[in-house]
Amino acid sequence: MAAVAVHQFAQCITCHAWSPDQSMVAFCPNNNEVHIYKLLEDKWEKVHVLQKHDQIVTGIDWSGRSNRIVTVSHDRNSYVWNQEGAEWVPTLVILRLNRAALCVQWSPRENKFAVGSGAKTVCICYYEQENNWWVSKLIRKKHDSSVTSVAWHPNNILLATTSTDGKCRVFSTFIKGVDTRESKTSSSSDSKFGEQIVQLDLSFSWAFGVKWSPSGNTLAYVGHNSMIYFVDDVGPSPLAQNVAFRNLPLRDVGPICFRENGH
Amino acid sequence: MANTLRLYLTCIRNTLEAAMCLQQNFPCQEVERHNKPEVELKTSPELLLNPVLICRNEAEKCLIETSINSLRISLKVKQADELENILTKKFLRFLSMRAEAFQVLRRKPVQGYDISFLITNYHCEEMQKQKLIDFIVQFMEDIDKEISELKMSVNTRGRLVATEFLKQFI
Repeated sequence: MAAVAVHQFAQCITCHAWSPDQSMVAFCPNNNEVHIYKLLEDKWEKVHVLQKHDQIVTGIDWSGRSNRIVTVSHDRNSYVWNQEGAEWVPTLVILRLNRAALCVQWSPRENKFAVGSGAKTVCICYYEQENNWWVSKLIRKKHDSSVTSVAWHPNNILLATTSTDGKCRVFSTFIKGVDTRESKTSSSSDSKFGEQIVQLDLSFSWAFGVKWSPSGNTLAYVGHNSMIYFVDDVGPSPLAQNVAFRNLPLRDVGPICFRENGH
Repeated sequence: MANTLRLYLTCIRNTLEAAMCLQQNFPCQEVERHNKPEVELKTSPELLLNPVLICRNEAEKCLIETSINSLRISLKVKQADELENILTKKFLRFLSMRAEAFQVLRRKPVQGYDISFLITNYHCEEMQKQKLIDFIVQFMEDIDKEISELKMSVNTRGRLVATEFLKQFI
């Protein structure tokens, strides 16, 4: 595996996100700012600096269609940035967390986003039209330790989370008024917000990255014990396969390692 | 004798390469807005990994404890007789007092050991992982040499002083 291009932006990068057209990248250079770089004529130029957080920014996600950036940080806050003209305007989102936020992801339909935190909770935020405000709902009491990574299922309702207690859990995040019940999907017809669908206890060590396959049938997550766990038919009786690597711990999994008809 | 040293150091080096995967800027779960080395606190057992003890023989061992954002290495150095005991204690105390200059050194050794290192994710961000491992392994090699040299110089000096003193009785 060879790198396509190598650029040094900072000594240490905490997290990053690509813009929908892949021409810009936003990242945190291990401080409380977010730098946005644009590729202009073969050179990367710094175009914006988003400064609002008080502590290090741990999660950035750039939504595909609505061109919004959500950032979360160790200061328990989250901002949604909208581009108005040449400037990015932040909107504070009250997450009601009492510990730092560790990861964030927009849902596939971009009307919600999920935040995993060190408070052993997951926060789902959605936009309320009447009050012009982002509201958060918390999933409490189900995790034993910090939530390191979150991933949305393509149906916009199921959410998979991994945590430092080694478990991967799938929750339903159905919110009345934001999500519409489709009669086709019978599996999530009787689940309310925050209900845990399944808990996967395959890893003995911390679990770090999680992703769904594009069809939503298979789930993959990686552990500190350098193993990837693939789970098919997530539901009452999941089928799991493990792949062990000989090298060092794995930290994240990308969405490209899936094929539709088996491995 | 020399090849057990090589094996011992290789084993430690491999363990450290696996243990030093700490790029986690992990916020404290107990206290908000704080960031503490979890291996020192030990408040959340799920964030700690199993400690590994590597023994060369009964007298020399190395304890490596890992957690999600920090790593503690404690060494027990070979001390054959009383003189080496005193020399080791004084020499390592001299180094521990100046722990700020070393950055990765711990001011007090862990109970039962002679010297301890504390490496956090911040150290791994600023410094290269391979170089840190090289430093620790080099330190272990040099400690033995230093103690032997000190012991030899103490013995030599003792002999010279005694010779001079007893000349007056000849």
